[in-house]
Amino acid sequence: MSAAPLPIPAGVSGVSAGAPIRQSSLWQDAWRRYLRNRGAVLAGGIFLLIVGYCIIAPIVSPHDPNRVHFPDAYQGPSWSHPFGTDQFGRDLFTRTALGGRISIGIGFGATLAILAIGVVYGAVSGFVGGKLDNAMMRFLDALYGLPYLPFAILALAIIGTVNFWTMVVALSIASWFITARVVRGQILTLKENDYVRAAHAVGLRSYAILSRHLLPNTLGILVITIFLELPGVILGEAFLSFLGLGINPPDASWGSMAQDGRDAYRAHPHLIVIPSLAIATLVLCANFVADGLRDALDPRTRET
Amino acid sequence: MPLLEVNDLRTHFFTGDGVVRAVDGVSFTVEPGRTLGIVGESGCGKSVTALSIMRLLPEPPARIVTGSIRFDGRELTTLSERELEDVRGRQIAMIFQDPMTALNPTLTIGTQITEVLERHLGIEGEAARRRAAELLDEVGISRARERLDDYPHRFSGGMRQRVMIAIAIACEPGLLIADEPTTALDVTVQAQVLDLLDDLRRERGMAMILITHNMGVVAESAEEVAVMYAGQIVEQAPALELFARPEHPYTEALLAALPDLDDKRARERRLEAIPGRPPDLIDPPVGCRFAARCPYAGCGDSCAQAPQPLRELRPTHWVRSAHPASKRAAEEALSA
Repeated sequence: MSAAPLPIPAGVSGVSAGAPIRQSSLWQDAWRRYLRNRGAVLAGGIFLLIVGYCIIAPIVSPHDPNRVHFPDAYQGPSWSHPFGTDQFGRDLFTRTALGGRISIGIGFGATLAILAIGVVYGAVSGFVGGKLDNAMMRFLDALYGLPYLPFAILALAIIGTVNFWTMVVALSIASWFITARVVRGQILTLKENDYVRAAHAVGLRSYAILSRHLLPNTLGILVITIFLELPGVILGEAFLSFLGLGINPPDASWGSMAQDGRDAYRAHPHLIVIPSLAIATLVLCANFVADGLRDALDPRTRET
Repeated sequence: MPLLEVNDLRTHFFTGDGVVRAVDGVSFTVEPGRTLGIVGESGCGKSVTALSIMRLLPEPPARIVTGSIRFDGRELTTLSERELEDVRGRQIAMIFQDPMTALNPTLTIGTQITEVLERHLGIEGEAARRRAAELLDEVGISRARERLDDYPHRFSGGMRQRVMIAIAIACEPGLLIADEPTTALDVTVQAQVLDLLDDLRRERGMAMILITHNMGVVAESAEEVAVMYAGQIVEQAPALELFARPEHPYTEALLAALPDLDDKRARERRLEAIPGRPPDLIDPPVGCRFAARCPYAGCGDSCAQAPQPLRELRPTHWVRSAHPASKRAAEEALSA
């Protein structure tokens, strides 16, 4: 590593003699470490920019994203239509933002669902331990073999309707296994800590020990997990929509927009390039953010 | 009536290699307000005894095979986990060896004290904080009120042990089990923590079990001492009696191993050590467990083959050995 700045011990920087020593919490330390990672900061900035664009653009845009106006069909990028228009003459700048809302929304929704299932399953398994842990882990092993996308397709077929929430269910139902394992592993390690023994020794109830002494210590890992799972889920959603199994028109996600653009990709490549680029950028940024978060929240894994 | 009555306690660990008899037939009583010291080397079962009383051992692999533990007239070995949670911290509290790791680094000191008050006494909010500050003050932490919002990393080892003690005494338990409370602390702090424990015990009429491998610590604070070896109590007597007239060869050896800094000549000699190692507790010897290391167990001596009972040599002085010091002295006098 070249010219990495020397780590400044927590609580030492910027303290003049006699001034009360500022306490720096784990999160403040992590934030400082994150800010030193330029790639992660840039990726985080772009990520926020994309999210901000998806939220704001449809509100301020003068164009109705669903208004069909054939005279404007297949326009290239211009001042009034920065991303051009599609085969129905709809403004792509607005539609891409709306598609992003759905793609990112489903992404975060499914990620949070993965987290919720994974945390509960993993925490119970690791905390209770013994036979229950063994049974739950063997069940997980059995599920582990399930291929995630075919399972999502199957789940959608069983549910029968496709909307935002069923997509969230389909994408999370077969992808929480890793999270459950990670959380279980964390709980297993944390459980051996003396302070957990001490908490037992003062007679705290099990749920209090789990929720107060164990789960808060897994928060760092969970934040990292959000950004590690997000790209997979967003890609999954895009893939399903590209196959035509996703969100129904006139709503669109980035995947279904790319699918629409496929018909005319030779003459009007921007139709497929823009949503694809949006997906790729977002996924790349999420990966960088996850990397940066891991380095920031778990600095031990980073040092040579 | 004794506060705590442990009778023929046997705690075994069922492992892949076999059954480890970590505690093998331990009996003792603790009277209200008194201190019992349990001494012995690492692995002799003193901590397992303490954890058995608290029922804090993971089951499996550990299990209390036989024996009874009666606290305040109540049998602890048959209580459910939920009932035990009401006993722990409320009636019997425990402090551990390493204060550096026994506090949760992500919670403030205040939170860790008030959560116990909330759990057992139902004291909440500002009242709990006030009580927590009083407790910190009582264990000798200055500016207690301000320090409630500090995280453990801002406390030194000695201060953290004081915080652990504050948590332990928060609900005014009848019995405090201190498992090597000073081992991880440096010597000057050790004495302070022991004094603190002793003061608190006296003020509150609290009984205490002090577990240590340090004879000096026992001499300072315990009224009654039990010496453990290989899962059994080998000698038990009032502290003064034990130090003045040790009977068991193991106790003698332990006392001889203490460095004597006042004796000029002793400072030039090597420290006394006990030859050999403690027996394997998976398959302990049938007879006296100390026989292999005992300087008085001659070959052909029956004590290595026959289990040795704990005999009351004098009133209140119990020994598990075929060669107690007083008997050896008598034999010597006879042959001379």
